[in-house]
Parts: sequence; structure tokens; C-alpha cells
Amino acid sequence: MRFEELGMYPARVEKAVRESPAVVSLHLRSPLPREPSPGQFVMVWLPGKEEVPMSVSGWDGARLRISVAKMGETTSELQRVKKGEYLGVKGPLGRGFELGRGPYLLVGGGTGMAPLIFACRRLRERGERVKVLVGARTSSELLFVTEARRTGAEVEVTTEDGSSGEGGMVTDLLERELPKRPWKVLACGPEEMLVRVVEECVKRGRKVQVSLERYMRCGLGVCGSCVLDPVGWRVCTEGPVFEGRLLLRTDFGKFVRDPTGRRLPLPPGRRG
Amino acid sequence: MSRLTVKLGKLRLSNPTILASGLLSTGSLLCRALREGAGGVVTKSLTLERREGYSTPVVVGVKDGLVNAVGLTNPGGEEYLREELPLAKKGGGPVIVSVAGGKGEEFAEVASKAEEAGADAVELNLSCPHVRGHGLEIGRDPKLVREVVRRTKEVLSIPLFVKLGLSDRIVVSALSAEREGADGVVAINTLPAMVVDVYARRAILSNVTGGLSGPAIRPVALRCVYELYQNLSVPVIGCGGVEDWESAAEFILAGARAVQVGSAVATRGLRVFSEICKGLSNYLKREGIQNVDNLVGRLEG
Ligand SMILES: Cc1cc2nc3c(=O)[nH]c(=O)nc-3n(C[C@H](O)[C@H](O)[C@H](O)COP(=O)(O)OP(=O)(O)OC[C@H]3O[C@@H](n4cnc5c(N)ncnc54)[C@H](O)[C@@H]3O)c2cc1C
Ligand SMILES: Cc1cc2nc3c(=O)[nH]c(=O)nc-3n(C[C@H](O)[C@H](O)[C@H](O)COP(=O)(O)O)c2cc1C
Ligand code: FES
Repeated sequence: MRFEELGMYPARVEKAVRESPAVVSLHLRSPLPREPSPGQFVMVWLPGKEEVPMSVSGWDGARLRISVAKMGETTSELQRVKKGEYLGVKGPLGRGFELGRGPYLLVGGGTGMAPLIFACRRLRERGERVKVLVGARTSSELLFVTEARRTGAEVEVTTEDGSSGEGGMVTDLLERELPKRPWKVLACGPEEMLVRVVEECVKRGRKVQVSLERYMRCGLGVCGSCVLDPVGWRVCTEGPVFEGRLLLRTDFGKFVRDPTGRRLPLPPGRRG
Repeated sequence: MSRLTVKLGKLRLSNPTILASGLLSTGSLLCRALREGAGGVVTKSLTLERREGYSTPVVVGVKDGLVNAVGLTNPGGEEYLREELPLAKKGGGPVIVSVAGGKGEEFAEVASKAEEAGADAVELNLSCPHVRGHGLEIGRDPKLVREVVRRTKEVLSIPLFVKLGLSDRIVVSALSAEREGADGVVAINTLPAMVVDVYARRAILSNVTGGLSGPAIRPVALRCVYELYQNLSVPVIGCGGVEDWESAAEFILAGARAVQVGSAVATRGLRVFSEICKGLSNYLKREGIQNVDNLVGRLEG
């Protein structure tokens, strides 16, 4: 890779779309140094504010889409960005999903649907069989259900409060679905959910790839802030997508790091 | 590859490539760098107190390099030495702890804790260009260098290296460090720099200014190493834009006994160390040179 490819590329906002009360998608035109693939992310800089990692939720050959949930200061401000404004983008970065022959089962919790909808589209374009299990706390937080259906994928939803689909966790749907076919599983969502997904898949002998989130200071593989111990894998470089089985020997589901690099137990209920 | 073994004072390295300070930083990644072929690794610069550092963006790529202003982010010397150093040591090679500070006592205190915790050597960062009072201001003042090195040397029995940045006093500062017992000099750190985004009409780094690293600074770093080699008797360790065996060999010919590799980790990955070693080893064989030591400073003319 060349150093220029790690630079900040201007990204003009062409469209801002509210997907749900919690999530806004931004369509960005940017002269990226490489084409993004599903599961990769970009570092998005709001000039004057911080730079944060965001999964690529779509790519149409010229425009990049990111889908932003409000978590704190930068993500709130990003949701207010208007058409015509400029952001900065570094990327695409990291290792995405390895996509081969199906059938594929995609399991998304909350904003975890962002990288999965891109993977869903890519798989359907290749004619693969895809089923998507979408979960959220409540129906208004379900993400990309209609868009997933439009790709021709089979879609099932569930909400924790039962306001849409059957009440419960998306992992309940997974348990029921796994024995039915030799599914290859892709998952993204709260880390507690991902742990259950991986355990279930390992138990059933199914291949599973998960997309992880960690605090990222650089996104370029130089600072070490996103590392998984004890193996020394950088979520920004060797990840964010990992083979689920391999994660079981790491901090996955157990520890995260704060911005100074201090190791802390995974906070309960963290969205990613 | 015994052709590649080098000695820096009392410190033996299996090869002359060392991971530079501030890159990778966390224990398990330093361990990986050692296992993937680095002859040694340097930790991020530790301070007595924990430091958040600057807000993002802290690093950005430019043509032939990176510009960074991380702000010496670290969880504090004690915590790092307790949590990360043991993981790094599992790599089996020498771990050099980098220490930063504002005052002589601070350097000495963190350095002695590092020795207690099992560090193989200490590197004093007297060259950070973007944290006021924590680097370059010390490194370009030979009196302050003398003071900091003397105090640290007093409490240390493991080797002590001093990392200096570009300044018109680099040779004088290095001589002061040598006189106070420094076991080697590392040169150079990043060069003061900044990056502007014309659409945002803003400096990209949150700290506005930062430091340039990578191949863009190599000719500058080479000249520093060359001048230091002419004037010092302790080993010089070259740093700045090493990315392949040719660039490593350039530094060695200019007088470096070992090289540090930083930014190239971003573009070449952790393989960079073993790739440099393989290339160097073949080069030595082709040239009929027994050990890399025999190449140090061997410029013709
Ligand atoms: C590879 C990757 C892909 C991501 N993709 C998306 C995406 O597609 N859509 C999306 O909305 N968000 C995504 N995130 C999470 C997003 O980066 C964080 O929500 C964001 O950095 C928070 O910034 P803030 O300034 O708004 O909030 P802060 O004020 O920085 O934090 C607010 C809260 O968010 C938590 N937080 C901070 N950083 C992270 C993080 N990296 N992961 C999880 N929680 C965090 C903090 O602990 C705090 O509780 C992704 C993160 C990673 C690492
Ligand atoms: C992201 C980043 C962080 C750095 N942090 C430190 C540090 O904490 N202490 C230090 O002495 N040097 C630090 N440096 C400087 C490097 O150790 C090295 O001197 C410089 O980058 C030149 O080498 P290179 O061209 O191989 O990168 C940092 C460099 C980068 C790019
Ligand atoms: S975020 Fe810096 S190494 Fe991953």
C-alpha cells in the first residue's frame, strides 16, 4: 500500500436519508483510492470535530454510503450534516467479509445491519441464496428490512419488546434456523449478541464471520488502540471482520480498551 | 542469518531492525512484531501520569509519509509496565522502553520502574515535536540533555539510548549524552509538519501541527546519522523512512549500527522486518561481507 492511500480524501455529501429514528445514512461522493468491499470501514472526519470509524453500508461504483447511529458528540453532529457539505474520509480500511458460495445467513442486531446490508446486496448480485435475521430492541430501530427484502433475500425480524415480528432475541431465530441448512453465517451487532452467535455456530459446526467494533484512534494500523489480546490482532487491520471460531481465544466478549489504552471489562449492553 | 546479529553496547540483537517507538504500542502487538522478525521493539513513550493525548484525527497519510500528532497517549508508566510489558516480553526478543517527560526526575522515575519491570533497555524520547516541553525543547538544549541523561543513568544499570530529533545542535546534544554515559543515540524523530484540507479549509490534525515521518524524511535522517557517526564513539541507531532492505542498508552505510522502522508498518505490515532481514542478508552474501557490522559507516571516498 502507498502512503497516499492512507490520506484524507474529500467527501461531498450528496444525500442524507433518515433510515430510522436512530440512524441517518449519508451518501458521499469521494475519490477513494480503492473500491470498498462489504465489511470494510472508513474513518469519517467531520471537520472541526473528531474522526470516527463507520462501516461502509453501500457502494454504487461512485458513491459511498455510511449509516450513522447517534452515540455521542461526533455521531450527533454527523446526523445533522447537510447536502453539499464536505467531510473527510480515510479508507476503505480493514479486512471485510470473505464471500464465496452460499447459502448465507446474515444476523444483524441494531446498527450492526450497516455492513450486512452491503454484504447482502453483493451476495444477491452474485445470485447467492441469502436469508437475513434482523433484530432490534423495538420496531422503530429495525434497520434495512425493506432494503434487504428488495434484494430478493428472505428476511425475518424480531424485537426484544415484541413490537414487530416475534418477541425475543435475534439469536433465538438463529438457533432455530441453523439446523435447517448448511448456512454460512455473517454477523454484526452488540458484542454480547455476537458471542452467542459464534458459540451457537461453533456448536452446530457452521462457519461464522463477525464484524467487531473497538475504540480506534488511527484506523490505519499504527497506534495499537484497537488490539485484541493476547493474539495481537488489530481490529482496524486484521479485522474488523474475523473468523468467529478464532475469536474465542481472545478478548472478544470480555475486554475492551479505553482511549488511553487501558483494558476494561466489556461494558454490558454495548451496541458494538 | 547470523550475519545479521548486532550489539548495541551490552544489548544483543538477532538482527538490526527495531520497531520504532509509538507504533503498534500495545504489548501483544510488540510480541507479534518480535515473533515476525524484529530484532527488537521499542514501546510507546511512557510518562509518569496517564495521558489521553489529542483528539482525532491524530494520523494522516501524505505523499511518502505520515503526519501525526498523537500527543503521547499512554495509560501511565506504571500501568503500562504492569499490563503490557509482560505481553511484549513473550516475544522473546529485547524490549526497549521509551520514556518521555517534562523534567529530569520524571524520566529517571519511569526509567527505573521500567528496569524493575524487566525492560531490556531504556530509550529517552528527547525529540517529540508536538507536545510542548516534552521533547524537542530538551533534545536541542545540550545542557538539559546532560541533566536528563545524568539523572537517568544514575538509577539505571540496563543500557540507555537517547533519541534526538533534527536540530542544528543534534551533534552537540548527542556528545553531551555520550559524555553522561548514554549507550547509544537514536536519530531521528518526526519533523515538525502540518496538513491542510482545502475543502474544509482546516488543518486536518486536531492539534493543527504534528510530525512528518516515513520515506519523505529519509534523506534528512540519513544526513543526521552520518554526522553523528562522524562524531560519536557510541552506536548510532538510524530512524526515518526505513521501508525495505535498501533503505536500511543506506542507514547502515551512513553509520547506523541498527535501524528503527516506524511508518512502514502501515504500508508494508509486520512482514517488513523479515523482508528487510532477508534482503540485507542476501546483499551481504553477494558482497562477501561476513557480518552487518562490517558494513557500518563503510561509505567509499
Ligand atoms: C469498525 C467499526 C465500524 C463501525 N460502524 C458503525 C456504523 O456503521 N454505524 C454507526 O453508527 N457506528 C459505527 N461504529 C461505532 C462508531 O464509530 C461510534 O459510535 C462512534 O465512534 C462514537 O463517536 P461519538 O463521538 O459520537 O461518541 P463518543 O462520545 O465518542 O462515545 C459515545 C459512546 O459510544 C461509545 N463508543 C465510542 N467509540 C465506540 C466504538 N468504536 N464502538 C462502540 N462504541 C463506541 C463510547 O463508549 C460512549 O459510550 C463503528 C465502529 C467501528 C470500530
Ligand atoms: C503514529 C506515530 C506515533 C509515534 N509516537 C512516538 C512516540 O511515542 N515516541 C517517540 O519517540 N517517537 C514516536 N514516533 C516517531 C517514530 O518513532 C519515528 O521516530 C519516526 O516516525 C520516524 O521513523 P519512520 O519514518 O520509520 O516512521 C511516532 C511516529 C508515528 C508515525
Ligand atoms: S486504530 Fe490504530 S491500530 Fe487500529
